[in-house]
Amino acid sequence: MSTEAQTQTTEKEWEPKILAFCCNWCSYAGADLAGTSRIQYPPNARIIRVNCTGRIDIEFILAALDLGADGVLVSGCHPGDCHYTSGNLKMRARWALFEKAIEQAGIDPRRIRLQWASASEAQIFADGVRTLVEQVKEAGPIRRSWE
Amino acid sequence: MSDAEEPRIGVFICHCGHNIAGTVDVKKVAKVAAEFPHVVFSTDEMFMCADSGQQLIKDKVKEYNLNRVVVASCSPRMHEPTFRKVVEEAGLNRYLYEQANLREHVSWCHMREPGAATEKAIDLVRMSVARAARLEALPLKTVKVEPRTLIVGAGIAGLRAALDIANRGFEVVLVDKDSELGGHVRHWTHMFPDDKSGPEVLNPMIEKARKHKRITILTGSKVREFDGYIGNFKATIENIKTGDQKEFDIGAVIVTTGFTPFKPYGYFGYGEHPDIVTLAELQMMPPRKDLLKPSDKTKAKKIAFIGCVGSREYGKKGHEHCSRYCCSAVAKAASDLRDKMDEVLILYKSIRTYGKGHEDIHRLARSKFVIFSRYPIEKEPTVEIIDGKITIKWEDVFADEELIFQPDILVLATAMIPPEDIEETAKLFSLTRSADGFFNPEHIKLAPVTTHTAGIMIAGTAQAAKNASESVIDASGAAAKAVALMARGEVEIESTVSHVLSDLCSSCHTCITACPYGAISMDESHDPPVALVTEAKCHGCGTCAAACPSNAIVMMHSTDDQIISMIQAYLSPMTESEGGSVQ
Repeated sequence: MSTEAQTQTTEKEWEPKILAFCCNWCSYAGADLAGTSRIQYPPNARIIRVNCTGRIDIEFILAALDLGADGVLVSGCHPGDCHYTSGNLKMRARWALFEKAIEQAGIDPRRIRLQWASASEAQIFADGVRTLVEQVKEAGPIRRSWE
Repeated sequence: MSDAEEPRIGVFICHCGHNIAGTVDVKKVAKVAAEFPHVVFSTDEMFMCADSGQQLIKDKVKEYNLNRVVVASCSPRMHEPTFRKVVEEAGLNRYLYEQANLREHVSWCHMREPGAATEKAIDLVRMSVARAARLEALPLKTVKVEPRTLIVGAGIAGLRAALDIANRGFEVVLVDKDSELGGHVRHWTHMFPDDKSGPEVLNPMIEKARKHKRITILTGSKVREFDGYIGNFKATIENIKTGDQKEFDIGAVIVTTGFTPFKPYGYFGYGEHPDIVTLAELQMMPPRKDLLKPSDKTKAKKIAFIGCVGSREYGKKGHEHCSRYCCSAVAKAASDLRDKMDEVLILYKSIRTYGKGHEDIHRLARSKFVIFSRYPIEKEPTVEIIDGKITIKWEDVFADEELIFQPDILVLATAMIPPEDIEETAKLFSLTRSADGFFNPEHIKLAPVTTHTAGIMIAGTAQAAKNASESVIDASGAAAKAVALMARGEVEIESTVSHVLSDLCSSCHTCITACPYGAISMDESHDPPVALVTEAKCHGCGTCAAACPSNAIVMMHSTDDQIISMIQAYLSPMTESEGGSVQ
């Protein structure tokens, strides 16, 4: 992208790019319900469906941030409600470490969000996307390491 | 299809009538998608799920020699099975199908932003195309089913299921921790809607079960160990007294572990006077001409019931549910006892005699002049012991008056709650529990007797509070599921399982602790031993693949490569379309 084009985009009001990981059984279904219920939320997030949040390797999130995602959302079943019994707890454990590490690596922790939203919590899912988009807008476009 | 074969992807963008096309510029999406890597055909269509849409896929697969199909339409949770079937009919492996969600995740939730919605739709299709290019055909696997069902809990549900299955010609192992068959119902003197007592209902079933050559009955026993996968479980059952253990090969399991009646300490003076009892305790009083007071064994002339005790308490965990049996059970007991008593009073928040024939019981009670009095939800009756007499004070909603009654016996219709050892049972069979504490079905409406653990069914009050008739319906349903599984003799298992690349495995055991199902063990035939996935036990969550520090675990159909390709397609499409990876 040329410098000129970039300036133009910025002037048009910059919209953050958000990548979301949703587990198939709770949050992906919650996002489906948000649609079915016609709950309107910011169109910034692109959802990748995984079977369980336990499937999400922290490397995926790092890759997304490295490739220019301004924010990453991970949304899964509530602890205790995991379709696979405990995959979400494994994610939560990884997240605790990841959250600390990412800040030390110089990335604003407002760019990442872990939330629990069940298949019936469409509003919670939508609100989560909105919250992250707002946080990321405050933080501004992600700074790439070579910039 | 060999790995070397170049992906030839067909993209089908669905209008879903006005649902998607009303917001998303579907023609533009189809046009842009035609330029994505490996896409050889791209179009838009009014309804992809309609016969014409399905036929279109089949025709284009043939015409363009497509080996991958991407449909961008509704949620894959809705129509992925439909389109997987279509591509199979078109001669492709079902795992070579990919779906982008443009309706629930785009058009319906960004209705006022058509521009941004179209942009999002293009991104999602690009991501799906990238993933499709990396999809691999997976073999469809089947395993044999052991023709024997384990039924845990020999109450009315367990007995019904056992007889149904045995009569259909399959083996049953019926286990109960109690020393007798029949569960709670065995003790009850007043059953509804018919006029029989618990033993009258149960005894013929128990007799048949005892005589049945295909039913192995193990009372006073518990399942100690349980392992395996659908069609091929192993259960170790122990006699509680002797400690003797027996092992069984099991194809399917029905969990009918039931409920426990709530002991309402702290409610309405329970425990403070011997004549304040629960409905379950009243039901166990020996049937005779007169009902005697538990305190002094004199004839009781006045009785009162209070409904919803420990049920429908909003905000109190495990007590929010309606226990479903109590309204009709109270009406039945009250109606029966009215013939022997001077006064029978029922205090209630609301009455729900919803079942077939239950309203008749309610009407019968009223016709016998059982007094029904409604108290306000926000102001519960108080129970005091005054001069040794049970004294109930309450506000009658309809009379708008404070009333007092001194019954000889006060009966509390208490909630059905899960048995104390339910967590143990949940762990044993990998079951999850819902807010009421009972086991979760696979789907509350569409799959109420199967669970998320394939091959394991639930029936009766193990699933939720309910009455005996409903438990029997469940039991027959679960038995039918078990029989269907055993009669087929084999079952297809998911191919989306994880696989260990033994060359990369560093024998660290991380995956073994990560797996929620104990599906991974160490293959000792290797030196050093490496992790090995028992595919039939794997549920496909992928937790092991994410946990493996050596990248030695491949989660089929959700590989690292497939996921990373979607991330790249979204964030770095230029390099993607040039076919290169991002540096």
